[in-house]
Amino acid sequence: MASSSIPAKRSKSPPAPKQRLFAKIFHWVNIISLFVMMTSGLQIYNANPVFGGRGGWHFPDFLVLGGWLGGGRNWHFAAMWFFALNLLWYGLYIFITRRWKNRFASSSDVKALKASQNVKRKNYALHRLVYTVILPILLLSIFSGLAMYKPAQLHWLSALFSNWQTLRVVHFLAIPTVIMFVLVHSWLALKVGSIRLVKSMFF
Amino acid sequence: MGLFVPKLALSRRQLLQWSAISGVGLLMGSCDGEPLTTKVGQVFEPLNQRLQELLLSQNPVPEYSMKDIEPDKLLINTFDATPQIDPAKFQLKIDGEVKQPLQLGMADIQKLPLTSMIIRHVCVEGWSAIVQWGGVRLRDLATLAQPKSSARYVFFKSADGYYESWDLASAFHPQTLMAYQKNGQLLSADNGAPLRLASPIKLGYKQSKWVTQITFLNELVPMKGYWEDLGYEWFAGI
Repeated sequence: MASSSIPAKRSKSPPAPKQRLFAKIFHWVNIISLFVMMTSGLQIYNANPVFGGRGGWHFPDFLVLGGWLGGGRNWHFAAMWFFALNLLWYGLYIFITRRWKNRFASSSDVKALKASQNVKRKNYALHRLVYTVILPILLLSIFSGLAMYKPAQLHWLSALFSNWQTLRVVHFLAIPTVIMFVLVHSWLALKVGSIRLVKSMFF
Repeated sequence: MGLFVPKLALSRRQLLQWSAISGVGLLMGSCDGEPLTTKVGQVFEPLNQRLQELLLSQNPVPEYSMKDIEPDKLLINTFDATPQIDPAKFQLKIDGEVKQPLQLGMADIQKLPLTSMIIRHVCVEGWSAIVQWGGVRLRDLATLAQPKSSARYVFFKSADGYYESWDLASAFHPQTLMAYQKNGQLLSADNGAPLRLASPIKLGYKQSKWVTQITFLNELVPMKGYWEDLGYEWFAGI
């Protein structure tokens, strides 16, 4: 029999995953705007620490952006547009293209986490669960931020947070949460699709 | 002795990755108090101000009740010394773009209708305090002086050298007061006695203490406000 056109040994790995340009832009804008939001946010934090007030512990200079409170506010209230609109476009995109139907964690993922014997399926379920949960957390950081930025004109929003200290704590908690998310999300993405998947989301 | 020099060959992808990483580093290290930070403010503050002007309404902001007052939370901030003013000799001057420039003593001001409000005072630093303020509406004082239709801004001069300027819409908001009471008592010198600005719709640094002169203006002057001239936002609407 003549040799077939199929080579005896296929190249080692399947083709590299490809992402939509939109998904790449979303990741870039998110990572940069959140970085600016967090570092300028810590600058604002230092003007009157959420924990302990003026006598409280301050974040060191190398973690804070803007040089002083006024500069930190410049960055914070500029980056907020990129961060919030990026999330809004993403929401519209997910909604219009009907990706919301199968993009996020569902009961089948929860079932897989509980009962599946398939390690790959379990990792994938956990990955989906983690990136699904971060979305309401990011929205909460926007709403708690707005409630603090415009507490008089958006008094109905501020009132949802019971008191000022709670509002400040909720807004601040976005920082450790986002840092944890970036670590866990990257780690799970590596487990699910190796470095090729992570790279495909950016380049 | 030999030196091992690794061959450096950057792919386009690696170059992009590195430029992204170092771009973030550059941003982090270079903009502390530098022109870039000022530039960012100049580019985005007009947009943020527009948003705040749109949000501003002439309806009163909902108020709190007596039991919500937080007497210990109102911190004292001053840029310089605390002036001691004799209320018997104090005169408030109202001038500029008005038909009827005038001077009022504390007794004249206290004869005008007293407005009391319990509102949240919000500081740019991040803290806030629920405070009761009592005083006369700035719009009532303005009625006496009759601002001309050309008046668009209000400039406040204080006894300690502090200065501020406001947009007319915020100045005429029903909860913008020239206050002489705090938490049911006469204002103390630390809090701005005998007369200070108090309002729920602006950040604390807009609310000048020890106000001695109110000037209506057609145009903003280069001296926008003590903190604004150092880099804080001018509108500062909340």
